[in-house]
Amino acid sequence: MNANEENVKMTSEVVRHVAKLSRLALTDEEIEQAKVDLGSIFAHIDRLKDVDTSGVEPLDHPTGLLNRERNDEVGNVLTQQQVLENAPAVKDVYISVPKVLGGQS
Amino acid sequence: MITIYETLDQIDRGDIISSESINAAFASISNEPFNAFHESWKDETQVHVEGPLSGITVAVKDNIVTKAGTTTCGSKMLEGYRSPFNATVIERLIASGATLVGKTNCDEFAMGSSNEHCAWGVVKNPWDTQRVPGGSSGGSAAAVAAGLCHAALGSDTGGSIRQPAAFCGIVGYKPTYGMVSRYGLVAFASSLDQIGVFTRSVEDAAILTEVISGFDPLDSTSMELSSPDVSALLNEPLGSINIGVPQDFLNERNNPEINEAIMNAIKVYEDLGATIVDISLPLTDLGISTYYVLAPAEASSNLARYDGIRYGHRTDKVDLDLFDLYAYSRAEGFGDEVKRRIMIGTYVLSSGYYDAYYNNALKIRRLISEEYTRAFEQCDVILGPTTPTPAFKIGAKTDPISMYLCDLYTTNTNIAGICGISIPCGFATESDKPLPIGMHLQGPAFADAKLLQVANAFEQATDFHLQHPRLEQ
Repeated sequence: MNANEENVKMTSEVVRHVAKLSRLALTDEEIEQAKVDLGSIFAHIDRLKDVDTSGVEPLDHPTGLLNRERNDEVGNVLTQQQVLENAPAVKDVYISVPKVLGGQS
Repeated sequence: MITIYETLDQIDRGDIISSESINAAFASISNEPFNAFHESWKDETQVHVEGPLSGITVAVKDNIVTKAGTTTCGSKMLEGYRSPFNATVIERLIASGATLVGKTNCDEFAMGSSNEHCAWGVVKNPWDTQRVPGGSSGGSAAAVAAGLCHAALGSDTGGSIRQPAAFCGIVGYKPTYGMVSRYGLVAFASSLDQIGVFTRSVEDAAILTEVISGFDPLDSTSMELSSPDVSALLNEPLGSINIGVPQDFLNERNNPEINEAIMNAIKVYEDLGATIVDISLPLTDLGISTYYVLAPAEASSNLARYDGIRYGHRTDKVDLDLFDLYAYSRAEGFGDEVKRRIMIGTYVLSSGYYDAYYNNALKIRRLISEEYTRAFEQCDVILGPTTPTPAFKIGAKTDPISMYLCDLYTTNTNIAGICGISIPCGFATESDKPLPIGMHLQGPAFADAKLLQVANAFEQATDFHLQHPRLEQ
């Protein structure tokens, strides 16, 4: 389906795909509710497709500032201890995570 | 609670000492019935610096990081999170001698217009505790309206300072994008977010903004201005000034008492010698749609950092692979509105839809910005209502769209990066208690001094800002 051709149809399949891309483990009830909510929100947003934007340059930032560079000098940085204090699971001086490679641990 | 200006004057004259002013604020916060505060810092060790704001109490929205206490953004995702550093605005307030009294509740990650989307419960409007204070900076607005502290910091991404200020009958000022450093403001939509202030007078808004504004090398979008002197014109006579009024802002969508209050405000300005100019801002109607593409798109990227790994909530479920660790941690940590916006943003940025939604909205963003530029060729500031209705009842808005439309008049200010302020201009009588009405003034980028001058002139000629809620015992 091309978004330009017709308005969005929020199916369970679309919502599940978006939830996966969003890294959100939604329940079946949440998927059904999202179908309704996103459907009405996109029905509103789809009005933007009626605006003639041919020849208009996108404006992604209000001030028009470009990248600002600085000298490559070390300033105030957080200590290892400060960073680890908010980590949900720590082992020695490392943040602990599940096994990533080689399948389920 | 009196204003910052009056308090500083009394301290100057020796009528009170700063510790009395501070203790009075902590006493009122300790038993406040509005759920305005997530935590207050009476018992936290605070460094008191002597400075121009000694004796002044300021509350901080819970999405601005502070070394004192926690910073939760109204979310279970960040429950108990203690920031290892202070936001730049916090450093500047501490250096000025101000006393930070605690963190105020807000809609989760600043997403909401009623404060009903807060993990720590809804905040109540001090004018009528059956009603919402507005959002997302509802706790900050309620705290200042109830006189719990002199002022509060908020953040405004699409109206999150100005709309709650209107609902709570106080001054809410969103400076031009780039005037105030966003370093340490937890990111929602970075091209729209701006820290600003809640106060009981326009003069107070200027005093506080002088302290927190200015270039910060730690925020690459903060502007290097020679003098961000927002107070410069405050007490200058209004002179020959043109105030633009978009006629389509006074329509049947608004509560009739709001239209009436705005018409009366226009008369006040005419009496002050201002020239009222009819202008047209037809793209205002597309603001909400444009905003709900751009802001969720940026939010979906910004909130990707909450992955349950380095900080924030991690699921207790065991034997998960990395994908499910992310997905369950996020599903458990985020509330419904945040999930909804992450999904909107993910969708409009996804392959096949990026051009149709996100890129198209960026083009409309340029059209909105150009529409303002043309309007400001005819006028110095634009005047209208801040909101279409006064504060509504808790639980009254059940579908997302009707909630989003609360910000009809405020989102385009952020989309264009200009400055805006809401000031009290009347009361609606639909309920048995008076409900404040806010007037919205918008000015061109970096014309903040002019904006505050125009706002101050109205305030000096009226007494709406002097009326405060009768607090229920």
